[in-house]
Amino acid sequence: MDIIERKMANGVNVICICGRLDAYASSEVEKKLNGLIDAAQVRLVVSFDKLEYISSSGLRVLLATLKRVRKQQGDIRLACVKPSIKEVFDMAGFTQLFTILDMEEAAVKSFDE
Amino acid sequence: MGVSVPDILIDLIKTTSLIIVFAYIVTRTKFFTDVLNKQFNLKSQIIIILLFGGLSIFGTYGGIKLPSGAIANIRDLGPMVAGLFGGPLVGVGAGLIGGVHRYFLGGFVAVPCSIATVMAGLFGGMIYNLRKKEFPKVWQATLFAVGMESFHMGLVLLIARPFDQALAVVKDVVIPMIGANALGVAIFALIIRNLIIEKRTAAEKEKYRRDLERKEFEIETARRIQQSFLPETTPRLDGFDIAAFSLPALEVGGDFYDFIPIAQDKWGLVIADVSGKGFPAALFMALSRMCVRANAMGKSTASEAIRLANNLISQDAKSGMFVTLFYSLLDLKQKRLNYVNAGHNPPLLLRGDTGGVILLGAKGIALGVLDEINLEELQLDLARHDTVVFYTDGVTEAINEKEEQFGQERLVKLVAQNNHLSAQSLVDKIKDEVNAFSLGQPQFDDFTLVVLKTV
Repeated sequence: MDIIERKMANGVNVICICGRLDAYASSEVEKKLNGLIDAAQVRLVVSFDKLEYISSSGLRVLLATLKRVRKQQGDIRLACVKPSIKEVFDMAGFTQLFTILDMEEAAVKSFDE
Repeated sequence: MGVSVPDILIDLIKTTSLIIVFAYIVTRTKFFTDVLNKQFNLKSQIIIILLFGGLSIFGTYGGIKLPSGAIANIRDLGPMVAGLFGGPLVGVGAGLIGGVHRYFLGGFVAVPCSIATVMAGLFGGMIYNLRKKEFPKVWQATLFAVGMESFHMGLVLLIARPFDQALAVVKDVVIPMIGANALGVAIFALIIRNLIIEKRTAAEKEKYRRDLERKEFEIETARRIQQSFLPETTPRLDGFDIAAFSLPALEVGGDFYDFIPIAQDKWGLVIADVSGKGFPAALFMALSRMCVRANAMGKSTASEAIRLANNLISQDAKSGMFVTLFYSLLDLKQKRLNYVNAGHNPPLLLRGDTGGVILLGAKGIALGVLDEINLEELQLDLARHDTVVFYTDGVTEAINEKEEQFGQERLVKLVAQNNHLSAQSLVDKIKDEVNAFSLGQPQFDDFTLVVLKTV
């Protein structure tokens, strides 16, 4: 699992998670996201473009950081969610919690509104 | 009869080799270890004194022959080392053996040399005391040797007469003497320090091993306690055949199933999966199970029971922890299931008459996410030979070496093809198929199955 991070022009941080987000990888992602939130970077887009699989630990990390970031008037928005991954979100009922957009650009721009 | 440079080199190598062998052997004896560990028993101390005294005597003869005919000896080496690792008593003891022996060999430098050998042991012992009985670093020991041999030369100049002769001897041997003794002390120091590190590492390893044993015992105890939370046996349900199986991926896990007696002919059937695995999931499992149990009893509807359970669970759900759960109220007389699905894998319903498979989904969200939730409650009538398979994602997300998942489709097909089996046999069949599929791969997630058949 690899994490690629980019900072966009409008101050939004894009985190691209590549590979399998299993229990072990989840703690890495958690560290990364918490680090950003600690540094007051609360406008985050998580791109699932290269994500093959997400475990319940991955969902837990996303949920925990979503709660954190919302407390600071920020948000985590998801982009490029494959159907198989979306299924996992749908089943757990998480789709109603997250703003999910098809394209990464759209997700980044959505923070400008 | 000159001695050439190659001869000196060979001499040096021979002597060095002998010292290395002596050092290696002696430092591996019990006597050495006793003295080093300050277990001062008389026998070990005497043996060390004799050994290093012997080394000292050897040093008189086994030095390096110089062109002039003089010998750059390493008599002081034994007492120096003995003093450094064993203290003044051992050092002086070794020094006396070497020194007295030298004295009786005679010569005009006999007095200063004998004295120097005893002092070598004494100074070594003083350093030992100064360093609070801790063996010095290699560079410190070597520096001491350089200083000691310089002192030795100084004594010769001070005591031996005629002075010109003494000066000539000193000029001849000072460098080789300092060099040879420093080298000898350095060798010993290296070997001894390695030994000390070896022993320290062994002690640490032992401590870790004991810690690990204790932790493994605690984990095993936790495993047994968690096992006891799961129903010991499946209940006898009139008109139904029910079987269950659960195996955590690690020693403890986050899956659970439960059979809750609600009323005379009403049972609550629970299957649930806490996010993650291992100890965090296991702790949350214990919490969730009790919240569900407590709220299921006495509640008339499935949705009410789980809604209230969620109120409790979400209060304690930290760091994004959540639990997916499927809860159904089974009415034995009416052969009816009222159910809610809180974000869990939809159980499979295999109709005995048509052979068709329905997924028991319902609108809902996992527990612990939101403080207040609404769950859609659905109703289902069960006919003869119908089978319901409840499972957690440890079944469908089991992977093989190509990282392919077992998947819901495979499970549906498997269940459809095996409707004739009893509940227990179907549980076993599914287990076997998943095991065969993921052969060789470590169990990825907690694995739980419950099968309910109408007979």
